[in-house]
Amino acid sequence: MKVQVVTLLGHKDHGKSTLIGSMMIRTGAVTKERIREAQKISSNLGRQFEPGYILDSFAEEREGEMTIDTTRGNLVWKRKAFELIDVPGHEELIKNMISGASYANIALLVVSAKEEEGIEPMTKRHLFIARMLGIDKVVVAVNKIDLNGYDKARFNNIKIELSTFIKRIGFDVGSFEFVPISAYNGDNLTARSKKTWWYTGSPLMDVIYRMSREGDARRGGALRLMVQGTVDGKGRLVAGRVLSGTVRRGSSVVMVPGGKGSAYRVREILSNGRAVASAGTGASVALRLAGAPNGELRGRVISEAKNPPKAERRIRALVFVTDKLGGRLNVGINGLNVRCKSMKILGNIDTTTGKAYSSRKADALNAVEASLQLDQRVAIESYARLKEMGRFVLYSQDKFAGIGIVE
Amino acid sequence: MIEHDLKALEEKSVYILREAKIKFGNIAALWSMGKDSTTMLALARKAFPDGVPFPVIHIDNGIDFPETYKFREDLARKWGLDLIVARSAIKPEMSGFSCCGANKTVALKRLMKERGFKALIVSIRRDEHGIRAKERYYSLRDKEFRWDYKNQPAELWNDYTSKLGATDHLRVHPLLDWNEIDIWNYIKRNKVPMNPLYFSHNGWRYRSLGCTHCTVPLKSGARSVDGIIRELSTTETEERSGRSQDKEKEYVMQKLRALGYM
Repeated sequence: MKVQVVTLLGHKDHGKSTLIGSMMIRTGAVTKERIREAQKISSNLGRQFEPGYILDSFAEEREGEMTIDTTRGNLVWKRKAFELIDVPGHEELIKNMISGASYANIALLVVSAKEEEGIEPMTKRHLFIARMLGIDKVVVAVNKIDLNGYDKARFNNIKIELSTFIKRIGFDVGSFEFVPISAYNGDNLTARSKKTWWYTGSPLMDVIYRMSREGDARRGGALRLMVQGTVDGKGRLVAGRVLSGTVRRGSSVVMVPGGKGSAYRVREILSNGRAVASAGTGASVALRLAGAPNGELRGRVISEAKNPPKAERRIRALVFVTDKLGGRLNVGINGLNVRCKSMKILGNIDTTTGKAYSSRKADALNAVEASLQLDQRVAIESYARLKEMGRFVLYSQDKFAGIGIVE
Repeated sequence: MIEHDLKALEEKSVYILREAKIKFGNIAALWSMGKDSTTMLALARKAFPDGVPFPVIHIDNGIDFPETYKFREDLARKWGLDLIVARSAIKPEMSGFSCCGANKTVALKRLMKERGFKALIVSIRRDEHGIRAKERYYSLRDKEFRWDYKNQPAELWNDYTSKLGATDHLRVHPLLDWNEIDIWNYIKRNKVPMNPLYFSHNGWRYRSLGCTHCTVPLKSGARSVDGIIRELSTTETEERSGRSQDKEKEYVMQKLRALGYM
């Protein structure tokens, strides 16, 4: 079964973990044993039953009532499988949020309707990161609607305020859906609630279900096979993953970056331990190439001679910075760790407003347009064209400091 | 219980196994002769056409089931595995936390020091336990095997992102995405040899296998792989219900993992 991966987004304490736990319980995804355990933990802590404890498993998470690290839960709705990724909403844990969200193709943003909560800076930062990661299907769950008397005006105000931001950062507002919910009471999760009589849309699970059906545009496209390295198989085989297109036995391929004019014939393709005539997108393969070069092949991209990717030393990118930048910079791209000799800031974006500003430095938790000068050529594509070859991790003094997408 | 697309799971696990070997060279895998680590070895045989290119470690406290020892010998011979048996001394009064924690971990630490493995392949899955669900595909451990779960390195797009210190090692988890039922579907489709204890004998079978002190069987009539798959689609209990070390107290699994337990 193909599983749709949904990441939660949103400010801390707006109810992400509670929502996942509640959805899992209401769709029958959790065994009675696990529910009993969460009940026991809740009562030991002297609290009401907390569905969030289905996923929040660390003692510190339960006692401190906050998610520390990302995790996942599964559920099935109308015979379709979903994997829900929980992420922490705290600012200092944003690297854990990005770690989780980077696997999803649908986002479920949680915004609390409680009077003193509402749209917070992290609500917007998370949306900005989702936009960068190319997640274009977003459901906004306006949560805790019960704590605001199921107020229609509050729901509409959140919708209007967020729509302005959504437009500014380049999302298509039409691709967003808003649902008023109570994660705790279950309103509008799996069935319409009478208490929100003014809401005419579908319950949350149906909205997510519908979004997942709108076709995943899967590229055929040009062959791009990322080389991991070599493995032994009666000789030296080139191992890697097909990112797009199809590799065919008997065809002639090139490696980028690589010597000009060097082409290699594909003698054999091993996929899942068997010799096959061709292998398509997503396959982990091992190739026997006639005359494959010696030496390090990791990070190179195999393509057809007539349509190779570019190999560049300079990358222009949008970078979300998670930490102060300073000292030695490196870029993790195509499985390589490449020294970045300079990073020129071309412009800044405040990720809580979506507005451009100008500063000579990159500020943590905001984004920059930048030009990065690497000390070696790497095969790249724009992120819009092929995500896997158009994204990178930025390190400052070997520490994770941000993510970038190639423009 | 969700059933994933087996082909997609397999492609990703093969990718991760190759990453571990190609990036870290001197690696090993833990093999308990259970369904998960045996499935991992079946995947490794696909990832590496010349055979599993790393040693497999059994941390042996001497109290595993006789069937398990026999299965170990038979499969190691059949698949040409480079088997390392790391003995850990068991005392009669030991059980649960002290046995799994101190005992098994000590034996593994000794071995890691001797052999200097940079990565250990461990066949845990997210759906086994809430604490295991918090893991990454690549999980950093220091010399003392500590898991700094409150400050895990970022991990994006299946790639490991932080630098390994001289005495650190990585736990690599190629089966993290798999559910229990996926394992059995894979065993069925690929005819992976299995430990006979998983199948019902006189109305009882083991759903999760540990050593003789801490594992209890469950009532079951499932005598075949198909029977197990049917049973799992309606179960209301957790996979590790029969593993007493998880149950002694709340958060035992968290404490065990923080100390380096698998």
